[in-house]
Amino acid sequence: MKHTLEMKNIVKRFPGVLANNNVNFTVQAGEIHALLGENGAGKSTLMQILYGFHAMDSGEILIDGERVHLGSPKDAIALGIGMVHQEFMLVRRFSVVENTVLGLRERGALLDLPRASEKLKDLSNRHGLALDPAAEVGSLPIGVQQRVEILKLLYRDARLLILDEPTAVLTPQEKDQLFAVLRKLREDGRSVVLVTHKLNEIMEIADRVTVMRDGQVVATRTIGSTSGQELTRLMVGREVNLRADKSNQKPGAPVLQIENLRVQDETGHEKVRGLSLEVHAGEILGIAGVDGNGQSELAGAILHLREIQSGRVLLNGADVTRLSVAQHRSAGISYVPADRRHVGSVTEMSVADNAILGLQRKYTRGLFRGIREARESALGLVARFGIRTTGIDFAAGKLSGGNLQKLILGREIMRGSAALVVEHPTRGLDVGAVEAVWGELLRARQEGKAILLISAELEELLNLADRIAVMFEGRIMGVVDAAGASVEEIGFMMAGITPGSAPPAAGPAQEARHHENL
Amino acid sequence: MFVTAFLFLSYGASPWQAYFTLFHEPFGTLRGFGYALVRTSPLSLIALGTIVSWRSGFAYLGFEGCFVLGASATSWLALLTAPGARVGPVPFFIFLPLAILFGFAAGGVWAGLVGLVRARLGGNEVLISLMSNYVAIFILQYLVSGPMRAPGSLPETRLLPRTTWLPFILPGTRAHAGILIAIAAAGLVWMLLQKMPLGYEMIVTGFNAAAARYAGMDVARRILLAAFFAGGLGGLAGTVEVLGSQHRLMDGISGGVGFVGIVVALLARLNPVAVIPTALLYGGMSVGADAMQRRANIPSSITFILQSLAVLLVLAFDALRYYKINFPGFSPRTPPPVADEVSK
Repeated sequence: MKHTLEMKNIVKRFPGVLANNNVNFTVQAGEIHALLGENGAGKSTLMQILYGFHAMDSGEILIDGERVHLGSPKDAIALGIGMVHQEFMLVRRFSVVENTVLGLRERGALLDLPRASEKLKDLSNRHGLALDPAAEVGSLPIGVQQRVEILKLLYRDARLLILDEPTAVLTPQEKDQLFAVLRKLREDGRSVVLVTHKLNEIMEIADRVTVMRDGQVVATRTIGSTSGQELTRLMVGREVNLRADKSNQKPGAPVLQIENLRVQDETGHEKVRGLSLEVHAGEILGIAGVDGNGQSELAGAILHLREIQSGRVLLNGADVTRLSVAQHRSAGISYVPADRRHVGSVTEMSVADNAILGLQRKYTRGLFRGIREARESALGLVARFGIRTTGIDFAAGKLSGGNLQKLILGREIMRGSAALVVEHPTRGLDVGAVEAVWGELLRARQEGKAILLISAELEELLNLADRIAVMFEGRIMGVVDAAGASVEEIGFMMAGITPGSAPPAAGPAQEARHHENL
Repeated sequence: MFVTAFLFLSYGASPWQAYFTLFHEPFGTLRGFGYALVRTSPLSLIALGTIVSWRSGFAYLGFEGCFVLGASATSWLALLTAPGARVGPVPFFIFLPLAILFGFAAGGVWAGLVGLVRARLGGNEVLISLMSNYVAIFILQYLVSGPMRAPGSLPETRLLPRTTWLPFILPGTRAHAGILIAIAAAGLVWMLLQKMPLGYEMIVTGFNAAAARYAGMDVARRILLAAFFAGGLGGLAGTVEVLGSQHRLMDGISGGVGFVGIVVALLARLNPVAVIPTALLYGGMSVGADAMQRRANIPSSITFILQSLAVLLVLAFDALRYYKINFPGFSPRTPPPVADEVSK
């Protein structure tokens, strides 16, 4: 069986940007091919061309040596190319089978769900994707929803599956299951393109890897002939040391205390359920957990951006639970929200105006804004945090994700607050920017700030945090010392399995602790 | 402009002649310029109101209502000072601030109600403000045909006492001091939005309410305030019109100025500094259109078409700026280096 995809000399230009510059990319039948690159390297663009979302400016695509035209995702599906997007394209209120046949017209106007269910069951058994066709998609865990997406493609008999950052939302165990499925697909002779920037995953599962940088392919390697270090160097274009050097220091007095907090989301579901935490001065307390287990509600509630049902938030011993957001900020809690473009900054406004967001009442002269002082502080921020921008009058929305994050982080650190709540600080950032953000967080820790770090990246938490609290369905499953924590143990807690009831391999958290490196 | 030239031709008139009249009348003759200024004042004030509300993210469209209520409140106050009325004559320097306050408050409270619905109940301000216009216009009709009606056949009030009129500022024309009020208001709005922390907060709220909340701003209060200021400026437009130009309250006094003012604001790209010139051009064109109708026998609605085309072009340019014509297959051999940010 020979089924290969070749993309030759692909050029794609967006206004002002050359996203793909003469890209050559080949996938063979029955291989897992990783596509690696920093944000903006052009890997998403390449995949979107392959899936028919974008038209290329020049170049050609061949399948089994034959030139094909991909004008829309429909063409791609007809040719056996399927894509699982980072954001799942599922109708939450529909059942699995309804989602699967969505858009298909197997029998004209007739919808034969029982037959589709049979076919689906058959498929899921063959590929080891346990799934109930009648289940409502919205009620399924994220990892299972991802399976639905993969099944959707198999139902359409996709020969080439593109997975865009598939592990970003999974627990370590779910990730292992996904990889098992991918291996089965490979045995089946199907090809998988894995778009990612996680090196360890590539080393674990891929057969070959293509590295992109600045819109060009830098190298294609077989996994056996390369190393993580080489790939990083190829991806970034220089040596990067992604191990944070954390100084040893004794945490001080408790600064931020959360007692028995209960918070609901917009729909009235309780997302934080009686949670208590304590963050000390000069300490980073990490919050691990799969997205959607109440982490963002917790962060919002600390600042009182969300209604608090019950419980207390104490700052240096003083009750700040019911204070307004502005009062929280002046009392000394800073916050770096997860969504830097829609919450943390006003993208339409200049860097200078964003540098004083939340501080506009501080930089005043009588009734008027102290515009000169504000600009000076913006210049200071740009210099101190190494923000790459053409000037402080530049629109903040045009900064790259990393530079925008540095601006927000810098602004919140420079406020001089005692406590800092940071949510997903490096999500979507490339390695260079991650390095910078980590450095700044550690510097803030050294200055004695109490930092609550919410992250879905275990690697980040293990590198930065002093202690890691694992959050599951609004509760803390357990708190472990980052120095002696094992990925497995945290992973089980992320999945809602308490240390005591975990399988023997993990052992009770207090007694036997696995020392395992990433 | 070229498009409209053909429309002129279809009426058998020389486009040159028509355009000459259109601009010569308001900007070439003193009398016409005076009229242009008269129309500019309320237009600018409403455009300024639009800027305040729209830049704060409050899509208010109820300026007709604010205008007539501002005019009504001012007229009521002015009639109180008529000789023989309950209060009697009041010196102008006391009356004017009071009139401004009344007009501003009438419009401001009216728009503030819409703001309150939006901020507290989450209603749609576009719909509610649009509907509120009709309510206000019916209130006006009730006033001029009921309690405030002057003896006579027309639904209008008595002529306001001469002591309450805005002074004329250009001898031999109808131009009144309203334009000075408009210029002062433009300065104040510019100062608010550019120079004051409150204005900064309003703009942040307008761009991104989530970021505003995150930064500790009270979004509901900012919206309410924006609505009050915007409506106030709309009410002030009514004050200026009734004290400067009409000198009495009557049915149909607004004549659509509440909507044209929004158009002016859009043409000025929501920039308070550009409002006065834009309104002058717009007001001037409508004066010229009337003259054109008299002389060249071309319907003044042609000018309206011209004005509408201008708005469409300004708005279309916004969209066009983001597109560039691409010729497939003509990409240069040596492409420029890739910029830092690529849409992911």
